[in-house]
Amino acid sequence: MDDTRQRILESTYTCVARWGLAKTTVEDAAREAKVSRATVYRTFPGGRDELISAVVAWATYEFFARLYQQVQGAESLEEVMERGIMFAHRSILEHEVLQRVMQTEPEKLLPTLTVESNRIRQGIAEFLVPYLEHRGVADGVDLVEAADFLARMVLSYMSAPGRWDLDDPDQVAQLVGAELLAGVVAGPESGPDGPTSPQAGPIR
Amino acid sequence: MVPGDGEGAGTGLEPRSQHTQPSSPHRVRIIDGTLVCLARHGTLKTTVDDIARQAGVSRATVYRVFPGGRDEVLAAVVDTEMARLFSDLGVRLGEATTLTEALVNGLVEATTRVRGHAALAYLVENEPEMVLGHLAFDESDRLLSTASRFVAPFLARWMSPAEAGRVAEWATRIVLSYVIAPSPAMDLTDPVRATHLVETYVLPGISALHATEVTAAIDITPFELERNTPDRRSDRHDSNRYVHTGHTTNTDQGDRT
Repeated sequence: MDDTRQRILESTYTCVARWGLAKTTVEDAAREAKVSRATVYRTFPGGRDELISAVVAWATYEFFARLYQQVQGAESLEEVMERGIMFAHRSILEHEVLQRVMQTEPEKLLPTLTVESNRIRQGIAEFLVPYLEHRGVADGVDLVEAADFLARMVLSYMSAPGRWDLDDPDQVAQLVGAELLAGVVAGPESGPDGPTSPQAGPIR
Repeated sequence: MVPGDGEGAGTGLEPRSQHTQPSSPHRVRIIDGTLVCLARHGTLKTTVDDIARQAGVSRATVYRVFPGGRDEVLAAVVDTEMARLFSDLGVRLGEATTLTEALVNGLVEATTRVRGHAALAYLVENEPEMVLGHLAFDESDRLLSTASRFVAPFLARWMSPAEAGRVAEWATRIVLSYVIAPSPAMDLTDPVRATHLVETYVLPGISALHATEVTAAIDITPFELERNTPDRRSDRHDSNRYVHTGHTTNTDQGDRT
């Protein structure tokens, strides 16, 4: 991303942190970035709407970049997922700008998040694939499908903990072991039937 | 089999607008009329006049039934549609004779109903901010709680109430995720795909949850087994009850044969 675009996005984010999404104008962004309004409109031809969408997308990718950094050192699939969920949960709760925007003007934020969600999910899935390969998936489990499922679940817990206390490492371990990985990984104690259930055929 | 049948203490599904008799025929007509308007041109262009005309009642009647006007009507529409969804979901869950069937029925029914909902589809497409506010963060938690409290009793035929609560919440997450962001490769309106998902990812997870609940909690196993006795007639061979993954560490009686 070129410097000007980056600078405008960072400056816009600063304005949003200060005044919220609704009150941040192109003028504010230009002033903060020390560029002309014309430059902002040239970089974001869709105007304010495009600028706001772009800053939300940018902030989201920054969030995940930091998250990936936090979990990089993890050695196992279980650890990467447990650390990821715990860090993500904490980061969201402690993210002042996100919390403020969610309280006051979620309708400005959410459409962009939803549009980005496919890309975010794909990013998480791609991140998990090497760990899944290394760990080994259970017989009959498709790697790509499993990665997509895991990414969906991770995003779900991040945005809504439900009945889980995601600050409790034991609960997170239980969650990861059961609702995330139980069907996915090749267990150390697979019986003759493997990890699949001894069901009769599919229900019609 | 439908739990909480008017048995008072909140399922959280009681209509929020209590100004009129819930069974007023005008109320239902107004709500259904509003749904038609919403499917046609969303909230922004749906006025009380539109609603009245579509419902075949007078403006005065709309305001009599919903003194809070348009906003109250819209809130009532949400409540009613949620209640209808849960009611139909309850029927499908109640029909199931195995755990797999219950989960598959639930996923297919919920996904199909939500995806096929005309008014919701219009809003998601044209007024996303109206819908999404109810799906993020705290609102999502509330939805998970409501849905899982409703679904859990149906699943408790095959597991402890605590586990049923967890699994019900998990199933709700799955529905929400695939409804908000569909994957062509995993169309949960298709019973075959839903069965694949349940068998591959959910059943093993239920086993794992059960194993950790038994070892972690105070041991109340005898009580739980007694509770479930009436359903266990032929359960010795019902491998749905607690799905075995080949490494049984718990003490239940659902033996594999």
